Amino acid sequence: MRILLLFLVLCLQSVNAQQSMFINSYGGYNSSGVRREVSDAFFYGGLIDSLAIENSYNKLQQRNSFGLQMGLNAQWQSPWTLAKEKSKWGSSYNWTFGAGIHQYAAIQFSKDLFGLTFKGGQPFAGDSLQLSPLNAEQMIFSKIGLGCYDPETHSSFLIHFVSVQQYLQAEIQNGTWYQDPSSAQIELDLMGKANLFGNKTNAYGVALDIDYRFGDNDTSLQAKEFQLLIQNLGFARSSQNDAYQLDGHLSFGAYSFADLQQLEVSNIASQLLDSLGYQKEFTSTWFLLPTTIQLSKVLDWQSPQRFEAYYGALFMLRQVFTPMVYAGAEYKVSTKWHSGLGLVYGGFGGLRIQAYSALRWKRSELCLRSDNIALQNGASLFLQFRCDL
Amino acid sequence: MKIKKVRGLFFLIIVLSFFSCKKEATRWQSNWLLPVLNDTLNLTHLYNDSTLSISNGQIEIDLSRTILDLTLADLVQIPDTTISQEYQSNFTVNNVTPGFVFVNTVKVHDLELGDIQLKQVRVQSGQIQLKVYNPLNTAVIYQIQLPGVTQNGQVFTQNYAVAAGTVQNPTVSTENINLSGYDIDLGGLQGLEHNKLQSKLTLKTDPNGPSVSIYNNQVFKFEASFENLRFDYAKGFFGSTIISGQKEFTIPFLDKITSGTISLPDLSLDLHIENGFKMALRAQIEELSALNTQGQAIGLSAPSIGPSMFLAPAVGSWNSLQPSTLDLHFDQNNSNIKSYLENLGAFQQVSYQLQPNPWGNTAAGHDEAFAHSHLRLKMSAQMPMALNADGLSLQDTFDLNFSQDLQRSHITGATAVLTATNAFPLACEIVLYFMKDGQIWHTVVADAQLSSAALGQIDPLDGLLKKKSKINIVLPSSLVADLQELNEVVVSATFSTTDPNTGMSIMQSIQANAFLALQMQLQLQTQMRP
Repeated sequence: MRILLLFLVLCLQSVNAQQSMFINSYGGYNSSGVRREVSDAFFYGGLIDSLAIENSYNKLQQRNSFGLQMGLNAQWQSPWTLAKEKSKWGSSYNWTFGAGIHQYAAIQFSKDLFGLTFKGGQPFAGDSLQLSPLNAEQMIFSKIGLGCYDPETHSSFLIHFVSVQQYLQAEIQNGTWYQDPSSAQIELDLMGKANLFGNKTNAYGVALDIDYRFGDNDTSLQAKEFQLLIQNLGFARSSQNDAYQLDGHLSFGAYSFADLQQLEVSNIASQLLDSLGYQKEFTSTWFLLPTTIQLSKVLDWQSPQRFEAYYGALFMLRQVFTPMVYAGAEYKVSTKWHSGLGLVYGGFGGLRIQAYSALRWKRSELCLRSDNIALQNGASLFLQFRCDL
Repeated sequence: MKIKKVRGLFFLIIVLSFFSCKKEATRWQSNWLLPVLNDTLNLTHLYNDSTLSISNGQIEIDLSRTILDLTLADLVQIPDTTISQEYQSNFTVNNVTPGFVFVNTVKVHDLELGDIQLKQVRVQSGQIQLKVYNPLNTAVIYQIQLPGVTQNGQVFTQNYAVAAGTVQNPTVSTENINLSGYDIDLGGLQGLEHNKLQSKLTLKTDPNGPSVSIYNNQVFKFEASFENLRFDYAKGFFGSTIISGQKEFTIPFLDKITSGTISLPDLSLDLHIENGFKMALRAQIEELSALNTQGQAIGLSAPSIGPSMFLAPAVGSWNSLQPSTLDLHFDQNNSNIKSYLENLGAFQQVSYQLQPNPWGNTAAGHDEAFAHSHLRLKMSAQMPMALNADGLSLQDTFDLNFSQDLQRSHITGATAVLTATNAFPLACEIVLYFMKDGQIWHTVVADAQLSSAALGQIDPLDGLLKKKSKINIVLPSSLVADLQELNEVVVSATFSTTDPNTGMSIMQSIQANAFLALQMQLQLQTQMRP
């Protein structure tokens, strides 16, 4: 990725015609109930204190979600048109090249599973815990592609070659845990499956990025321009990955003296897995990339209004991600500096405050945005930079 | 200038994009409960095996153990013996016609049996291996007879047609024959001798073969090897050799006692000596001593320990055999048996002598022994199972092999929770010593004692006096952190039969169906590291 960025920088220096460089980096995580202290420990390390766990546990619903998205996209909008002759189709479009790396992780989990994981089994002795539903997915992939760009409307279309570096998909369709308070006997029912692979597995696919602008793009007060932004619309296939399956019942009770004398500790784990019907196989898997579809109003830098409303909605083709809507108002501090404040609801979390600031110079533009400035159960940071060369 | 600014901005973005530093591992504490043990200890499996019985609602020790049991096979043995008989012509015989019998002789062999003089035995098990050698250039029919060896009146006879051989490479034929059930008369040709075994070899040339010559360098031979012979009947003089022995044995659990005392009720012990052989017998218990784990030794003192005792021969025959017996009784009036047992000697040692025919061959070689003849030394005792234990400490050492990676999820603390229902009148305190190469690193004392049933109440369901206890054995985090260094754990349990009213140790009886129900769970404090 570093080499790619260096390459793009070199390209910028060598080409003097009308062209643009667009870099978009983002990172954010959010949860419907898990407090930020818990999540932060997974990013920055450190001890998760029991109070944070207790507070998170108390706020959880029966079904909860947590999600993480990080990524970096770079796009070079070249000065070269698709066709040199103006009469031909494509003469109004320029070639554009893009690359990016993305990480997506999301989990939908029950309150009981959170409690069992973070508090242990002892506080729940005597309670029947529902470990399902659990859906977890994690993916790291990079992409490189080319497409076309309309300098007039700023619409673009790119097709990418995708390489998936890491993938995990796991689900527990049915899971219950019960520990007898007097005998401490554990009864565990689990039915679930998982697919995963790491860097050593070849997994490739294709993805489309579409940026379609429509509506009015003049500067009249009533004019409204909208953006339909579709990213990572595509799929990938692994040539070989590990597939795990569990469907069984485990009853783990105390031993008798005779059993203890013959007990071989090293065999316990395999015996437990056997009773849970553990199976492992190698297989190939098709899977969809985490596609995002965003429909939003495009803000007009040239608008004479001091205040301007903005709004939009974001969807992701994922079960864990609830449709996200946002709305707010932008205040034009000066011709070079606009700031906005709004509310966001959905995604991996609940209601939260959004804010941004955008700076525009003669040939460049920088925008810094957070969808969670109050750090409510998560954090979010978007950094966008555009430069016309 | 602008280009420089753009470059700087890109550099900043790249650095920000890739800047990520995780200072320390993510971790949290969680608490788990693991079932470990759920079992009941009782004495049920010891009932009706002549060890424990129930009388008036109390358990009684009804001990009956055989200390020594010798049979005929132990007393009278013929070592593995090989006899051989051969024939060698003094001169050359030419033109020997087919079917010519040229040897027909009987040989008497002496068995080396020390001072034992056997006239007759019956083989219970064992075998004979017959091996014949033919150096003649025609087949020879060997007939081997053991004239004193019979079964159902038939003399042991074996015929072999052994193929032609040479002087240098005689043809060898080998066969193993089971001798079980054979009677062996060892009285010699006239029946008046002892330890004599007879053999008869007959040689005949092949009736269908050619005429041959027998030369003086041709040796015709057979060998008979008696192997693993055991008898179920013997007659003769069984000798006067003294059988002396020393038996050492360890009594389980007593070797774990490290301190404390017990007091037992008045009791008696009987020794029963039985002579099932038709011969006179001298028996002598030279010493019976016990050494406890504190190094204190005590010998059993009684008038019958030390001097020789004489038993008459058994009377009767196969189905009517009546052993002669001698009973020795030890109690607090004639011995120190109570002190002897209260010494809790784990390491017992008994020295004895047995001598058949102490006055020589006075029966003129008419000693007899049968399949069911035994020389036995039995011990029996009966007493109420009661004791007075005062700080009686049992200690045992177990290997410890525990390892965990502190960089991954690991245990930081543990508490063993022991829940017990005790119907024994014994209280118990538990201490654990965690050691490294014999050096104590950590000592863990249970927070409570396992209470005696004497402190409890009668359960109307089964009529037993019971007491429930809950004991926490806390293994602190410092100990858990050292666990992978430690390699031994010593479990020390101190028992006492304390009177609930006075607090003094008193004699307590074990109630019938007494049990100790134990349930142990492990509460684990873990540091989780994903």
